[in-house]
Amino acid sequence: MTMPISGTLSLIAVSLLLGVSTSALAAPKTDLVLAIGGEPDEGYDPLLGWGRYGHPLFQSTLLTRDAHMRTQPELAKSWYLSEDRLTWTIELRPDAKFSDGTSLTARDVAFTFNHAKTAGGELDLGVLEQAKAIDDTTVQIKLSRPWITFSDFLFTLGIVPADSYGPEYARNPVGSGPYEMVSWTEGEQLIVKKNPYFYGKQSPFERITFLFTGEDTSLAAAFAGQVDVVSVPATSADAPPTGFKQIVVDTVDNRGISLPMSADDSKTSPDGYPVGNNVTSDPAVRQAINLGVDREQIVEVALFGHGTPAYGPADGLPWSNPEAAVDHDPEAAQALLEDAGWTVGTDGIRSKDGIRASFPLIYPASDSTRQAIVISAAEQLKDIGIEVVPQGKSWDDIERLMHANPVLFGWGSHTPQEAYSLYQSSMGGQGYFNPGFFSNPQVDAHFASAQAAESLEASYPHWQAAEWDGQTGYSGKGLAGWAWLVNLDHIYYVNECIDLGPTQIEPHGHGWPITSLIQNWTWTCD
Amino acid sequence: MTSNWPLFVTLRIVRLAFLLAAVAVVAFMLAKMSPVDPVQAYLGPAIAKVGPEQQDLIAQKWGLDQPPLTQFGKWLGNVAQGDLGTSMTYNEPVADVLAKRVRASLPLMAMAWLLSGLLGFILGVTAGAMADTWVDRIIRTYAYVLASTPTFWLAIVLLVVFSVGLAWTPVCCAAPIGVLPQDVTVLERLHHLILPLIALTVLGVAQITLHTRAKMIEIMQSDFALYARAQGASLADVAIRHGARNTALPAITVLFASLGELFGGSVLAEQVFAYPGLGRAAVQAGVSGDVPLLLAVALCLTVFVSIGNTIADILYHVVDPRIGATPDMEIRP
Repeated sequence: MTMPISGTLSLIAVSLLLGVSTSALAAPKTDLVLAIGGEPDEGYDPLLGWGRYGHPLFQSTLLTRDAHMRTQPELAKSWYLSEDRLTWTIELRPDAKFSDGTSLTARDVAFTFNHAKTAGGELDLGVLEQAKAIDDTTVQIKLSRPWITFSDFLFTLGIVPADSYGPEYARNPVGSGPYEMVSWTEGEQLIVKKNPYFYGKQSPFERITFLFTGEDTSLAAAFAGQVDVVSVPATSADAPPTGFKQIVVDTVDNRGISLPMSADDSKTSPDGYPVGNNVTSDPAVRQAINLGVDREQIVEVALFGHGTPAYGPADGLPWSNPEAAVDHDPEAAQALLEDAGWTVGTDGIRSKDGIRASFPLIYPASDSTRQAIVISAAEQLKDIGIEVVPQGKSWDDIERLMHANPVLFGWGSHTPQEAYSLYQSSMGGQGYFNPGFFSNPQVDAHFASAQAAESLEASYPHWQAAEWDGQTGYSGKGLAGWAWLVNLDHIYYVNECIDLGPTQIEPHGHGWPITSLIQNWTWTCD
Repeated sequence: MTSNWPLFVTLRIVRLAFLLAAVAVVAFMLAKMSPVDPVQAYLGPAIAKVGPEQQDLIAQKWGLDQPPLTQFGKWLGNVAQGDLGTSMTYNEPVADVLAKRVRASLPLMAMAWLLSGLLGFILGVTAGAMADTWVDRIIRTYAYVLASTPTFWLAIVLLVVFSVGLAWTPVCCAAPIGVLPQDVTVLERLHHLILPLIALTVLGVAQITLHTRAKMIEIMQSDFALYARAQGASLADVAIRHGARNTALPAITVLFASLGELFGGSVLAEQVFAYPGLGRAAVQAGVSGDVPLLLAVALCLTVFVSIGNTIADILYHVVDPRIGATPDMEIRP
């Protein structure tokens, strides 16, 4: 057995040669290594969708949001929506420069918006008519109809230089953001350094390396002391390596059950799949499900305590209505079902007019967390006389079954557009939007007023009213189109010396969103 | 004798051309029959914000709105002109993606292949020559255990022991964390190659060891080996002069036949060590329904494995001159 020994020796020799050691640093650290995933395979091109989550790093956006989701100026100095809600007029700060030293003008902004519409990427700018530069610092964006959620793009679309943008841009991004690209080894790492021309607050970190390793490897790297921030799955939480602290971030990364709203009368979706379910078409059943699930217990059992109860698709965001939450109340659920004519049979399961209160609850079979959530919910609903049969399926099957059966989905993003997609009646059956064909004229009317609001802030009360307006709404208190169950916590192990500052409520997708306020990160040791 | 070589080469090339065409057709059909919707895969979670019109625009941009036959015809026409198309996943010409990936994968796979062949052969010959002794038992157990070890599991164990526990090897990637590609030294590259190389080699060894061992036992019990022993040749003498020579043939066959398997193993090893090679690109292309990239990888592999087999055929004649002077002639009609 001499082979392994000589092998070991040569390993040691190589390690010594390379000086692999973890020596303590004396000076404040200016280089960070983050392993939080989020590599865009198609490159860093905002026109194709880069920057939807978290910070676009290389580019800057017109507006931004602070930790409390309040609107803050970024490239825009002032912004204003016309009386007819069709024209945004945006005044730019005059001192913004791209990382190649050229000035950012209204022409670049107009170019970015106009090209994003036709680029065929992941952004849907269908409502944009045309963006036009009025002078160097004023840009006018015309819409084809009042549509307040167009303002999402003011927050997420990074501005690219009109003169140098081309097919190579995604791999050599130039922008006005806080960092510029040094090198990107695809599938491995991205190295960025501070953009010397950045107009905003200067970060104390000169250089940041993003490692694009898998979950296990990233965690291994943290334990080897080679990274400063790593995203951690709930199953590996609560055991940070020495020198790390655990940061838990609230999210709207939710999981909820879509409940088909119409009865099964052999209708089919545009794709030809069956629509409707005779149990969940009764509003009493949908409300009883919302009352009957113990969300706290699901968090404990299925998420190991790393989550929060969910009552709507956007809990805690300014456009969600805190009034819409329903408490766990199995007695009320029972009474509701009793009144609606659902009587308990000999096996403890209710039925009405020969229909058993029983349905399959479908989840993607590959996701063990969703499986745990579904099984806990099924157990709880048995207590109120509803039989839920968990069924793991492929996404392909789910697409066929989702209009006629309850399905556990995951949503959550920084735009009220999502509530619109999930509950607006015309969205029924369009891809994964509104799978249960939820439809209600009052909710549609609230959505219409929200989209026609004079500003994003002014639209918030309308979005809230759609969820619950005191009489009705899409929430569990009202028509209960969905039974939202939990929001998953996002967990990070962070070097003890780094202060991330306050964090935003994060959207669906664990990892990159932590960068959204990267300019506020500080080093606290010396 | 030598006049048959042009014929041999021509035959092989014609055969390869037919093979490539068949692989392209089958791969395309499979990709089109798969339930993956390329537009949905491309959008991922962004689907929550993208309406039907925009989805149509994306389909149109990548030609996905046309009937499959038209798509295939277009692709074939472009390939005939040397254009492999553009990868939807990487937003880059397929040829560029392939070039980058092959450059990263080639050293890893070539070294793992050579090492596992060499090591496996030596172990197999040793085990076979000393059949049923403790040496044989150890080697055999080692081979059986490895043959049933999943690559990704072994890779993670190696990572935890050598990179995290002992800190001798890097945790990931083909280069040090935070160092620019142009500043990476050869020594550092080798340092980063160690673990993936060990993971791949150690697994490739098992097959070759077991095959070589079986053949070796057969030879050691043959009349000529017995005769040699009777004439006073030592065990080592017989093993090297007769055994090793005769087992070389099956070993080479297995080694070249394992090219496809090697690729499969490297897919997993690359995933664990964040080593950006061809394997990861293939996985990405598959799960996102990126047909041009998938076809290109499939064709690339076909050429690769086919050339491997041809080399094995040629080597047969070099190793064992008793097999016809010109390869392949027996398949002549």
